[in-house]
Amino acid sequence: MSAATESAPIFEAEALMGIATDLFETMVDGEPGHLTLWWGEPPELEDSRFTWVDIQGQPATRVLLAASRETGEQLTRALLALPEGSAVGDEDFADAVGEVANVVGGNIKSMVPDGGALTLPSVAHAAPDAPGAIAIIDTYLSWRGAPLHVSLWALP
Amino acid sequence: MKVVVADDSRVMRQIVIRTLRQAGYDWWEIEEAENGADALARIQVSRPDFVLSDWNMPEMTGIELLRSLRQSGDETPFAFVTSEGSPQMRDQADEAGALFLIAKPFTADTFRETIDPFIA
Repeated sequence: MSAATESAPIFEAEALMGIATDLFETMVDGEPGHLTLWWGEPPELEDSRFTWVDIQGQPATRVLLAASRETGEQLTRALLALPEGSAVGDEDFADAVGEVANVVGGNIKSMVPDGGALTLPSVAHAAPDAPGAIAIIDTYLSWRGAPLHVSLWALP
Repeated sequence: MKVVVADDSRVMRQIVIRTLRQAGYDWWEIEEAENGADALARIQVSRPDFVLSDWNMPEMTGIELLRSLRQSGDETPFAFVTSEGSPQMRDQADEAGALFLIAKPFTADTFRETIDPFIA
C-alpha cells in the first residue's frame, strides 16, 4: 500500500484510539491501562503479521493492523484466556488477531456515513497490495510494551 | 435453558460464552454454531429457547438466518452480538424481529443489563 500524507481527515486518530482502548479494556485485558500511544520513533516489527478488514462503503476504507507474531500470540492467549507461554496454533492465531481487526472495523463502519458491507478478516505475512490507497490514520500503539501498528486507509 | 451461540470465530464464541458465564448465565446449556447455515440446522434440531448470533458470517449471515427463521414461522427469541452497531443495522435487526443488538466490544455488565429484561 502506498502512503500519502495529505488527505481529508475523515476519522480522527482519537476516535480510533477510543475504539481500540474499549476493545482492549473489555475483551483483551479485562482492565484499563495496558494500551497506550507509542511514544518515540516508530519501532521495527519483528516477524510481523498483518490483519485487515475492508468497509465497502463510501468511502471504501481499510483497517489494517500489524504486530509481531509474538505479540499476536500474546493477544491470542489473552482473548482465549490461555496460560502464559502456552502454544498458539496458526488457526487460533488468525482467528484471534482477525477478530481484533473485525471489532475495530465494525466500530469504524458505524462512523462511516454510507457504511456498506464489512469484509471478513484476512491475516497474512505481508500487507495487502492496494495501489492508490491513501493513509488516513497511521499510528503505533503500545500494548503491554509491545508495538501494534494501526492504520486506516481510504481505498481507491 | 437451551441457547445457540453463532459466530464464525471460535475465539469470539468462547469470549461470548465466557462473558455469559461471568454475567451469571452459567445455567444456560449452550450449543455453538460456526455460521448462519450451521445455526439454522442446529436450531431446527435442538429447538433452543434463545439464539445469540453474530451478523457478519460466511455461508449465511446473521440477518439472513433470522429472516429465514421468521419466514418459516420459527419465532425462537433471537438477538445479535456483532462488531457493527450502527443505527441502520439496529433498525434492520428490529424490523427482522431481533430482541436486541449488543455491539462488540462488550462486558458482562452489558450482557446482564441487556439480556435480563428479556428473560425475567
